[in-house]
Amino acid sequence: MTSLSGKSVALRDIQKSWGKTTALDGVTLDIEAGKFTALLGPSGCGKSTALRLISGLEAPTSGGIKIGGEEVTGTAPAARDIAMVFQSYALFPHLSVAENIIFGLRVRGINRSERDVKLTAAADLLGLRALLDRKPSQLSGGQQQRVALGRAIVAEKSIFLMDEPLSNLDAKLRGEMREEIRSLQQRLGVTMIYVTHDQVEAVTMADCVVLMNHGRVEQVAPPRQIYDAPQTLFAAKFIGTPPMMTFATNMLGIEIENVTLGLRPECVKITQVGPIRGEVTHVEYLGADAMIECRVQDTILMCRVPGKTDLTSGSAVSLNFAPEDLHAFDSTTGRRLKHLPFEIEAASALQATGFTQADQS
Amino acid sequence: MTPAMILLITFTHYPAIQTIINSFFSTARGRRKSVFIGWDNYQTLLQDDVFWKVLINNFWYAVWTIPLSIVLSLAMALWVNDKLKGRGFLRMAYFTPTVLPLIAVANIWLFFYTPGFGLIDQIRGLFGLAEQNWMGSPDTALYAMIAVAIWKEAGFFMIFYLAALQTISPTLREAASIEGASKFYYFHRVLFPLLMPTTLFVSINAVINSFRLVDHIFVMTEGGPNNASSLLLFYIYKVAFDYWDTAYAATLTVVMIALLIFLAIGQFFFFDRRVHYK
Repeated sequence: MTSLSGKSVALRDIQKSWGKTTALDGVTLDIEAGKFTALLGPSGCGKSTALRLISGLEAPTSGGIKIGGEEVTGTAPAARDIAMVFQSYALFPHLSVAENIIFGLRVRGINRSERDVKLTAAADLLGLRALLDRKPSQLSGGQQQRVALGRAIVAEKSIFLMDEPLSNLDAKLRGEMREEIRSLQQRLGVTMIYVTHDQVEAVTMADCVVLMNHGRVEQVAPPRQIYDAPQTLFAAKFIGTPPMMTFATNMLGIEIENVTLGLRPECVKITQVGPIRGEVTHVEYLGADAMIECRVQDTILMCRVPGKTDLTSGSAVSLNFAPEDLHAFDSTTGRRLKHLPFEIEAASALQATGFTQADQS
Repeated sequence: MTPAMILLITFTHYPAIQTIINSFFSTARGRRKSVFIGWDNYQTLLQDDVFWKVLINNFWYAVWTIPLSIVLSLAMALWVNDKLKGRGFLRMAYFTPTVLPLIAVANIWLFFYTPGFGLIDQIRGLFGLAEQNWMGSPDTALYAMIAVAIWKEAGFFMIFYLAALQTISPTLREAASIEGASKFYYFHRVLFPLLMPTTLFVSINAVINSFRLVDHIFVMTEGGPNNASSLLLFYIYKVAFDYWDTAYAATLTVVMIALLIFLAIGQFFFFDRRVHYK
């Protein structure tokens, strides 16, 4: 299999609307060549629309698209150097696996011997050798998925577009295919643009995650960075299971207007003596660890503790955390604040004595 | 089972077998009773010029109506399946001829064909062309009937194609266009093969209809002039109910049914390897 080099994709101020509904609202995005980029977001956020615009199946209402530095806004899908795998796989039901894979090669009038070489290579790569004469209806979901991948591979395009390719598979298979697709992308060296609503897929597979919401890009960052430093409240609450907890500053006994604080459950520690006092309301065992749900004043805080725990619902606990684990956001705009407000910095300097709780001050 | 069998035997099997038996007897007339005459009716049939004439007419009737109505219905279905303005209205307009009784259709077409002030002649008049008696000329009478039949049938078949088209996922079209397939290539390689079960169904119906749709001939030409537009079923009717030669009509019926069975079986074999069933 010849090694391919990916191409970069650039969206400039893309607007896409159907009548009154706006699917994409001014999206500007640079996708690096040869990298695995995941477009992540809840359903209806515009991620699939973005992918279809890149593919050329849809045209933007305004804005421009470049692939490998070349303007492609008006060009047909076939001229964009892209291959696409659809959520439903889009296999031709009356054609055999082999014919499905070489469909595009036939369209382009590639001769038989060359077709056979490419088909064999793709079939070996995907373990489809024994299934080439079957019809798609005689295959399992995972095998159909591989055929769809095969069709993309033999096309030898620089960019692979994938629209939720794993969402029709069961959980175990999904895990396997995740690895397979990831390693395929690395072996072929193509640019992969992968649409998913599943943050686990995005975080485990992608070099770069593009988080979208309401037709806008929320954050573009590598998975680690998007987890460690979410740039918006939406990003904070979308990434992570369970998501980051957010609360007003008065939980720490400080009143700061227009600031929302965030804290990840694994950063909260249950201690003998801690600055925040609460009551356990629910304990959920997850095997390796447990989620403890605590009520502090009128806010619910989740806390992930490793191993077994003796805590039961109703026990009084103290909670503690490291101040560097705190995230601070502007409540109105939802943007991350560059620095923690100094009141909180000051209070955390008094960590030795602990945060004073509002009701005790 | 029994009630169903009784109904089936009384109204289907018994009359069918009786028809075959009748074809080996003479027609009872007045005091002359019906007697067994073996293959005599079939011998008459082979020497009956009118029979051969209507058979050949029917052949041309089938040759034109079957493919044309199928092609037209498929084209209309592809068109109204697209997202276009007034699609609902178009679908309804195409389907209207199917809802109309064939007698009413014949009346509409009588107006089209009427020499002098019919629609077609009025349009021809605009271009300075002479009047033409479409139904009165032996050269054109059959084709005038064929046009009516196609007009009547295409809308009906369109509904089947339309239903089939709606079950085909639009992502197939998208996948093909990403591979660079042209509209024609996609139709030829994907859409048409996927519509094969519908084409089989529609074509069998079209074959049956090419023998069955004769109502308009009663209204428009009565088989004339000089049997130029007469078809097999129309001839059977005339033999049976105008000439009251019921035995000979039974013979003609047996021949027609044998022909239909032969054609239907042939079609299944012809299509079987080409049809992809889901």
